[in-house]
Amino acid sequence: MMASTAPLISPHLLSHGTIECENIAGTRAFLEEFLGLDVIRPLPEAQYMWKGGPWTVVCVRVDGDAKEQSPDNHFELALATAAEVDAAHARAQALADTYAIREIRPLVDEDGLRSFMLLDMNKVWWKFSNVSQEYFDAAFARGDVAA
Amino acid sequence: MSETLARKHPGAVSQVAPRAILRGTMVATDLAATRRMLEELMGLETVLRAPDRLLVRERGHRAGEAKHADPYWVLEVRRVDEVAVPQEMLNHWGVELTSQAEVDRAYETCAAHAERFELGRVQKPRFRNNSYAFYFVDRDSNWWEMEYREPDLVYTALRARGDAVED
Repeated sequence: MMASTAPLISPHLLSHGTIECENIAGTRAFLEEFLGLDVIRPLPEAQYMWKGGPWTVVCVRVDGDAKEQSPDNHFELALATAAEVDAAHARAQALADTYAIREIRPLVDEDGLRSFMLLDMNKVWWKFSNVSQEYFDAAFARGDVAA
Repeated sequence: MSETLARKHPGAVSQVAPRAILRGTMVATDLAATRRMLEELMGLETVLRAPDRLLVRERGHRAGEAKHADPYWVLEVRRVDEVAVPQEMLNHWGVELTSQAEVDRAYETCAAHAERFELGRVQKPRFRNNSYAFYFVDRDSNWWEMEYREPDLVYTALRARGDAVED
């Protein structure tokens, strides 16, 4: 449902989200080598990551411990198939020490999607699932479920 | 796989090969109030995916509309009784506006309607980190940045330039 009146602000784009990191280089290795994201470092205190669209995650270096996030505050990576999600889960378990992965949750099936979550070295939660743009297109096209 | 990794180390492949970062999540204690802010103030499109979950995207993705982003990105808001981990400025969501004047106008709008939408602090716009922007915090401690970037400083333009700082 969209507001029936014109909004007060008309943005062009949802452009980015942000996370904290303690070690820029170590975090970049995890982002590129494990997660498969594209990363640049335009600023001494920040690196930007993306995959598959204009949307960006800004990773800002902090001194000391990064704040541990709740699983309810996470970023989700879309994999092509449920089998790829299973394979990612296996790779996470095999390489947890290499990439300082703190926690790996079990695989689950929910809403027709296969997924799991992990907590990275910066206490950021990442979800891996076989969600797709078509999944969201369909959700918006269906409209509200009964509240 | 990571193209930036392969550029630095030809032949290198990542352990996981996602197609996209498609969703981010946040929490709210009153979905109806948050939905009013997202739609009426911020001009975003929302849909109730489940009684306790709201999906959010920018406008322009309905059939026949010109897409701003392909694939577009989705924010999911989950209703909770209490915010377990209050968010801070470094955990914010960014919204792009089309001019510096639009940022100023959005700031004035947020400041004027702060009480109506239960906003917390609304900071004044300023230049910082390649953008002209202001931040505000919503009723559930979620931080939002409304920013404008010159065309050569938008995120996609910076990507094309690669690293400005070596590790």
